[in-house]
Amino acid sequence: MPERSRVKYLFVLPGIIWVLCFTIFPLLYSLRLAFFHARLGKAETFIWLENFRRALFDDYRFWNSMGVTVFFVVCSVVCTVSLGLALALLFNRPLRGQRLFRALFTTPLFTAPIALGYLGLTIFHEQVGAVNTVLFALGIEHPPAWFSSIWPARIAIVLVDIWQWTPFCFLVLLAGLQSLPDEIYEAAWLDTSSSWDIFRHITLPLLTPVLFTVSILRMVEAFKMLDIPFSMTSGGPGAATQTYSFYIYLTGLRNFNAGYASALAYILLFVMLLISLSFFNRLRQLYE
Amino acid sequence: MYHGKSTLIGKIALWVVILIAVSWAIFPFYWAIVTSFKQPGVIMTTPSLIPWLQFTPTLANWNDEFTQRWPEISRALTNSLIVSTGATLVAITLGTMAGYGLARFRFRRWKNKDMTMWFLSQRFLPPMATAIPFFLVMKFLNLLDTQLALILVNATFTMPFAVLTLRDVFKELPKEMEESAWVDGASHFQAFFRIALPLAAPAIAAAAVICFAFSWNEFLFALILTYRNAQPITVVIAGVEHTQGVQFWFVATRLLIAILPPALLALTAQRYIVRGLTFGAVKG
Repeated sequence: MPERSRVKYLFVLPGIIWVLCFTIFPLLYSLRLAFFHARLGKAETFIWLENFRRALFDDYRFWNSMGVTVFFVVCSVVCTVSLGLALALLFNRPLRGQRLFRALFTTPLFTAPIALGYLGLTIFHEQVGAVNTVLFALGIEHPPAWFSSIWPARIAIVLVDIWQWTPFCFLVLLAGLQSLPDEIYEAAWLDTSSSWDIFRHITLPLLTPVLFTVSILRMVEAFKMLDIPFSMTSGGPGAATQTYSFYIYLTGLRNFNAGYASALAYILLFVMLLISLSFFNRLRQLYE
Repeated sequence: MYHGKSTLIGKIALWVVILIAVSWAIFPFYWAIVTSFKQPGVIMTTPSLIPWLQFTPTLANWNDEFTQRWPEISRALTNSLIVSTGATLVAITLGTMAGYGLARFRFRRWKNKDMTMWFLSQRFLPPMATAIPFFLVMKFLNLLDTQLALILVNATFTMPFAVLTLRDVFKELPKEMEESAWVDGASHFQAFFRIALPLAAPAIAAAAVICFAFSWNEFLFALILTYRNAQPITVVIAGVEHTQGVQFWFVATRLLIAILPPALLALTAQRYIVRGLTFGAVKG
């Protein structure tokens, strides 16, 4: 291969330049904004780290939304990964109609989260929603008013998120399971007849890299969560389901406090960076 | 691998669990479809799940959607279609080239894996972090409420995905055919267009489908950057709520209209979904 050929740059440069223009420059711009007191349409004043200080030490809404987000992230990651793993183990066998099931489990992934949020609104409606219809039918006279109290609202959102993302974990973990070598299992079944032992000592360790990948990807997605709370609860009741991204949105694009919102966005960026570093290290080896 | 020892009870238990999983997966769709066939009056008064048995289905909502409300819906669908197609074209064109470049050539100064990681890191960027500057820039360029603004945004956010998936695909194609073409005097571009591209076509189509679905479902930027003429379907569903509380019937019809195109399209990309969504970390 002609190593010195400059043609190779023509292949990669357009993509790189595009991404530089549309993400790095906006990011630099908002980095600058983060150090300013900047409201849209008004003069900007440089205030050093005041925005960051205010967020970390002086803003209960910041901590509230951070707490809400962490709660959603933990619930969502734990539930989707474990449910996905259970389903993957269940489907990892010769099964009639497996293609159909896989297709069925693909559709939630490509359902617009915003649409799903509105659907959730009707499903969890207090009087005529699907969930309470079932609860009424089961003889429960006072099912929860999902959207007017704090924890039911949070749980409803988590449930919708779990519905959307379990299929992702399922599909990825199933692919992981199916790529495990048969020989090891054949040998293992000679030594033991307990499927639990096999799962604990062979499947789980071999599947760890895939589990790790799935968890990180889920975590990153969950941290960005905005659409479902936006459409389902508008962050309410009060700010009980106001996720961090939602809070940035309100600060920057409803209250037009661009400087403070940029500082908030950078804090989120930093958190994401911390989460993804370990994942990046693993992928870096893979991309060799 | 599964160790086959199945008793009858085991089999029944298995199918019961599968049945539960499947009903869980399709229930929301079922609910949306059922709701879309209810009389508006019925929806808010009597809770019901089973058509014919509990209520008489009606086509009224769909009828309304396709006649009275059609101008609004069709404009939103057209916008969604134009934005998603435009964004996909840009993302796939640039993504295929960059993916091919990263798979086939060695870069010295900025190593291949670092470039790949850099593209990947874009997917980890919270969109909220760029939303405010994007809004300001589009306002400055007078591009607010245009399809072009949304095409630029969606192309940017889906391209890293295209780069990573296609890089992976090109890496797995045999190099020899292109090398012999080079020896025969073909240029890099000829080898790329005549040999690599046709071989990778199915994977490129799948990546395009996924990019299309991502762009179609995007909401945040659509909300921020459009307010009337360029509003895609995701924002128009959002508008449903405001007039008189939640209008269940329109929510149901509209979100079915919004959900179906990407969900059906995605079925054609089955084979590449796992690999694509994990950026090549897990082979599907």
